[in-house]
Order: sequence, then C-alpha cells, then structure tokens
Amino acid sequence: MTTKTGTEIKVNYVDTVGFGADVGGRGFHLPVDLSVRSDGRVFVINRSPMHRRGIRVGICDVAHGWYGEFGSDGKGDGQFTSPTAITHGPDDRVYVADEELNRITVYTPDGEYESKWGEVGSAPGQIHGPSALKFTAEGDLLVVDHQNNRIQRMSPNGKYISSWGKPGFGEGEFNLPWGLDLDASGNVYVADWRNDRVQRFSPDGEFIDMFGVHGNGDNQFNRPSDVAVDDDGFIYVADWVNQRVQVFDAGWNFQASLRGQATVSPWAQEYLEANADELDARSRFNPYIEVDTDVPHEVSARVEAFFWDPIAVEIDPDGRLIVADSLRHRLQVYKRA
Amino acid sequence: MTTVQVRADYPLVAHLLRRAGFGGTSEELHDLASVDYEVAVDRLLDAVDTTSLPDDLIRRYHIDQSDLRTRPSAGSYWIGRMVTTDAPFVEKVALFWHRVFATAQTKLIQGKVMSTQIEMFREYGLGSFRDMLVQLSKNPAMILFLDNQDNHRDAINENYGREILELFSMGVGNYTEEDVKECARAFTGWTVANTDYMALKMRNNTMRPYGYIAWQFKYDESDHDDGEKTFLGKTGNFTGEDVIDIICEQPDTAAFVARHMYHYFVADELPVPQWPHFPPKDPEAIRVMTDAYFESGYSIKAMLRALFLSESFKAEASRYARVKSPVELVVGTLRLAGGYERPGADVYRATAASGFMGQDLLAPPSVEGWMGGSDWISTGTMVQRVNFASGVVGDLERPGIRELVNEIKAQAGHDATPEALVDSCLKLLGRLDVSDETRSGLVAFAGHGESSESASPDDSDKDHQIVSILQLIVATREYQLV
Repeated sequence: MTTKTGTEIKVNYVDTVGFGADVGGRGFHLPVDLSVRSDGRVFVINRSPMHRRGIRVGICDVAHGWYGEFGSDGKGDGQFTSPTAITHGPDDRVYVADEELNRITVYTPDGEYESKWGEVGSAPGQIHGPSALKFTAEGDLLVVDHQNNRIQRMSPNGKYISSWGKPGFGEGEFNLPWGLDLDASGNVYVADWRNDRVQRFSPDGEFIDMFGVHGNGDNQFNRPSDVAVDDDGFIYVADWVNQRVQVFDAGWNFQASLRGQATVSPWAQEYLEANADELDARSRFNPYIEVDTDVPHEVSARVEAFFWDPIAVEIDPDGRLIVADSLRHRLQVYKRA
Repeated sequence: MTTVQVRADYPLVAHLLRRAGFGGTSEELHDLASVDYEVAVDRLLDAVDTTSLPDDLIRRYHIDQSDLRTRPSAGSYWIGRMVTTDAPFVEKVALFWHRVFATAQTKLIQGKVMSTQIEMFREYGLGSFRDMLVQLSKNPAMILFLDNQDNHRDAINENYGREILELFSMGVGNYTEEDVKECARAFTGWTVANTDYMALKMRNNTMRPYGYIAWQFKYDESDHDDGEKTFLGKTGNFTGEDVIDIICEQPDTAAFVARHMYHYFVADELPVPQWPHFPPKDPEAIRVMTDAYFESGYSIKAMLRALFLSESFKAEASRYARVKSPVELVVGTLRLAGGYERPGADVYRATAASGFMGQDLLAPPSVEGWMGGSDWISTGTMVQRVNFASGVVGDLERPGIRELVNEIKAQAGHDATPEALVDSCLKLLGRLDVSDETRSGLVAFAGHGESSESASPDDSDKDHQIVSILQLIVATREYQLV
C-alpha cells in the first residue's frame, strides 16, 4: 500500500518544443516516441499514419534547435510503415522499431541507414509488434515484444539472448505491454499497458514488484503507455487514457501528477506571426475554457494546453522530463525541483 | 422436456435484419426467427452495444483515430463500429440521422466534431425528438456548418433558423418566411466557445500550431435576442428551446419525420425537395408513425417500432424495395466476413470503397444529404460495388467467409447438385431472395464449375467453387437491394 509521505517533490513545467507539421519539415506529426542522444539532441518518431509524408524521425533539442529528419514511409532499407519506438545505443547509433514490419532498423548517430533485422513470429528471437527499445548498461538491447507479451534481450544486431514474460495478469505476466525503461541499477520497468500497472524486474528479468490498479485517482492508471526513471530513482509514468503523467519515488510513493500546461513554442509563434489573422484571433482565445465533460480524452481535446495522449516519457542527460504530447504534435518539458 | 416452438418466418426476419441492421448471419437469423416477430423487433430496438472494439485498442494501433482529425480517420472509426457492434440498429439509426441532419466535414474540416455529432445521434437517436432537436441545435458541428455563430441579436443569420424548419422538422410549405426570421432570432447566442479562433481555424483549414481543438457549445446570453417573437401563430419571448417545443407540437413535424423514416427504412421515396409537391407513397405508414409520435410524447423509438410492426413494412412489396446505400453494402459484406478482433487496415479501405461507390461518410454532398435510391447506381459505382463485395467474399482467409463456406458444404452435402449449392449459398447470405432468372444463371454457373473440375473434386476445389458462386451472387441485382 502506498501512502503520501508529505514530502512530495515538485516537478516544474519548463517549456514546449515543436508544433504540428503533418507532411514533413520542421515540426512533428503524431509523435509516438523519442530518444535523447548523448549530446542532448532529441530524436522524435512521427507516426503520421494518414499523411504518410509525415512519417519520419525529426531531430531537435530542447532549446528549439532543428537539425533535420530522416527515414520515410515504405518497406525499403531505412524506411518504416508503423514506427513505434526509438532508442540510442551506447555508441549513439539509432535503433527504430516498426510494429507492422516487425523489424528493427539501425542508423548511424546522424540517421544514415546501416542495417536491419527482425523476423515475425513467437519463437525465441522472433518478434511480433515491437513497441519499445532500450539498451542495458552491458550493451544488450531490450525489446518489448508486445504481441508476444514478453521482453526479449537481444544483441544490437538481433541475436537472441534471453526473454521473460507471458500473457496474463500475474507477476511477470503481461497484457500488451508498451514502453520500458531502466534505472541506474539496471532494473527494468515495463508499462504493462492493458493490466494498468508498471512492473519492475531485476536486470536479469526476475520479478521485483508491480504497482498500480485500474482507475483515475492518484496511484491508479488507465492504460499506462510508457515509463521513465531518472538518476535518483524517481519514476514517471505516462498515464495515457487519464491524460497525465504521474510521478513516484523509488518506493512507489506518489509525488505529483502532471496534466500538461503547454505554451506557444517559438516555432508556433513564428507560424502565428506569419498568419496575422490567426495571431489576431488567438489574442481573444481562452485556452482554459470551462469544459462540459469529465472524460479526460475529451477534456484534452478541448483544452489545448493539456496533454492529449501523452504517449512517451524520457529523461534527458540534464534530468529533464520530456513528454511526447502526441495528438498536439509537440514535446512538453518538465524538471524536478 | 420443453419443446421450443419455432415460429420461423425467415423471409420476414431477414427483411427486418436488413432494414434495422446490416443483414444477419444465419445464426442471428435463426435466433430472431425463433421468437415472435414483435419480440424480435424489440430485441433489435433495445440492443445495447457490447462487442465493438474498445477505444483504447483502436487508438493504440490507429493513433489517427484518437484525434479523429481527418475524414478517413473519423469515417473509418465509424465503419469499424458498424462492422463490430452487436447493436447494429443503433448505428443504422445514427446513419439515418446523419442523412437527415446532413452535416459535412468538407466545410468543417475537422473530423472529431463530426464523430462527436454521430455519438450524439447514438445517444439521442432513439429518444424524444424534442431532445434530439435541442441537442442538434447545440451541436457544435451543426452550429458552424449552418453558421449560427454568425447569428447575432443585432444582425441575424437565418441559415440555421431556416434549415431546422425546412429540412430537419417540418418541410417546405408549412411555415412562413416570417417564421424563419423569428426562429433565427430565438437561436441567437447559440454558439461555440472561442468562436473567432475556432471559426478562423476552420476557414483556414489548418492544424497548426497544435492540432484541432474540439468545439464546445456555448450559450452567450449577451448575444441572445430575448425580445418578443411570433412563431407559428404563438407569441412570447421565445428561446431556442421554446421554438423547438412549438415545432414538435406540429402534426406537420410528425408527418415529415415519419416520411423520412419511411424513405430510409421501408422504400425509396421521391427526393426530399419534391415532397411538398407529391403526397407520401404510403399514407397509412405515415399515419401509423405520427400516431405513435403523439401517443408516446415524441418518441423516435416508438415511431420506428410502430413502423416495423406495420403491415406496410412487413408487406412482400416492401422487401428489396430499396437500393442498398454504399455504407449498407460495405458494412453488411464485412460483417459476413468477420475477423475484426483487432484493429486493421481494412476499415480504411472499406471507408474509401464506400466513397468510390458514392457515399463519402461524414461528407454528404449537401445539406439535403444523399438522394439515395437509383442515384446510388451508375456504371462506375456498380463496378466498385461488385469489386468490393466479390473481393471480400472471395477471401477464404477471412474467418467469416471460411465459416460460411464450411457451413455451405455441410448443408449442401458432399455430392450437392448445383441447385442445392446455390440455394445453400443464398440461404447463408442472409436468405437472399433472387428472381428465377438470376437463380437459373447461378445454377448454370455452379454446374459449369463442377463439370470443369476433376471427377472427384478435393476440398480445396469445392471451396473455390463455392467462393466463385458467392462472388457471382454479390454481383447480382438482388444483392444491391435491401
């Protein structure tokens, strides 16, 4: 049981990065995951299913720099059709998972195509719907093999090492898991999406504990899609259907709940200044209207500043929390006080 | 031991399933034919959806169906619901109101407000017609579609005031131009939150900077004309709700709505613009429904129940008296095919196919909706219909088709004659009635298929023979009718 400690930490809003760009170019379209390179550059996957020119990886930083994009819609080398996850290797190589093509594509640190691997199936080493990627300190790649309800440990070039997990709702069992992260000790945290909980495992996959039940109160989740752990062991959970990010300490003591408080990014401001009619109308725009619904997804649809499907969370080298605010095509940045 | 009496008017129940749903499988048909017809009607009318794919699964795999911004996304979300629900009548009714209260994303740009309107049709579509009109008048998609955000106390815009009378409730000829203006005055101040910015983003068709923001109804009292109004012979300081009360009291309203119901659920009528000049095709059916309207306190469900129990509906002449709309054809065929336990790309192809056949879901061609009837059929749309339906029923990988083929084989027997095979196919395609000429053609085709095979066809040959017959059946005239 979790109780409030009375010494909850504060997590402060820092900034909003990006804006909507549904056919490519600077900006994002339906971002679903991100990874931060060792130098702080942020690589963002744009799923963009209905505007297929918008499918790509965009590179930016939290200071609003834009460094281009790579990858495109397709089945050829370096392409993807339903990208779900991205991570950087110890050498800054980029790994992108595609849940439709069931493959992992490897790029240089700057996004040049290098290789690909992956075979669909349920045998050891085969994958079905890879939904998250993370490297261990030893240089192995953990793959959330979500349709097989397991985590697979692979070499960077796709050689099977080990796996754990099976379908179910018991300890070490999963129901369509999604995101994952590791803490400083190498423990593995998995967003057990349809079981509405986060499970924690030792570095070699032994079950440690799990936290969360279905609901919308503090300490409850509704389809958590991702988890991130900072250097001090604080845990950030993208509570996807509840449209918030919940923060816990390493003992699962509730710390904070973030609903989103986006502001107009410099890229968005440039757009508005180039469209005087919109800038003028926006000057009379009330971003926090009193809404006529208590359904979180609908509230977020009406209040632009809130998260709308916060789908992925990541901690950058400076300890900032970056949230992929997918339906608003932007990143919201926070930092623990 | 209890003996269950099988009442089994299969052709009538099949007719009901086609009209109050999207057709039925042989199992659904058998279940409903095992009870009194009145009970069968109530089962369909009272059904509650329990089988549609949950939104969380849809949104995970089709993120575009989470913000529902584009028409393919919003349309596919609805098609998916129609294909997977076990309460098809609710969707059929939503489709009915989408045709009557035609609102189009082509002007509104964002699909989410359209999806929200359809959800409102699900919620209110079988309740009180008064409540439905109130919800419609507060519906953000309708407000911006008919410009009510520009309807101000000191400068009215009569667009919504006119259409609620002309197209949504009473019909041309049953009100005056003065009533239109007074009606518009009553709806001043009915707008959406952040009006200027929302209307501008719609006009500019831009998702920048941060995607669309869902519209929300707002009553702006300071912009409402609360002066005295005279409307349909009554005088008072009417609000929009008062005006709706007066509209709902009118016999013309009941008759107009009933004619729409007849047009959609029984037989193709003349296009709506001609209604002021020609009487309804079946005045008795209209009377049955208008009686139910007033007796029930404006209940839409009571009107439809009365319709489905009426002799007009049950009559042989009403069967196959309508041309299937593209959505009916697409959804009905996909429901036979099954295999929608997880979201797939099929729904996008189906939504596009319906558009190629002439019915772009969420984008009716005008405020009068789709004309329907023979307008659905042209050389081009007929090719699209046949290609789509034969593609679906020809795919043995689809679990519903595999099951259908196995059942046909089981029913017809190993050494089935061509006649038996064709009859079995027709029966399992929802008891499809075809003309003698069509049946002869199908039998000849089935016989030809047999003779070209080896003397002892294996299972796979038989499967393909049956699939070929099914493909020919969905290309017949009769399959295009409902």
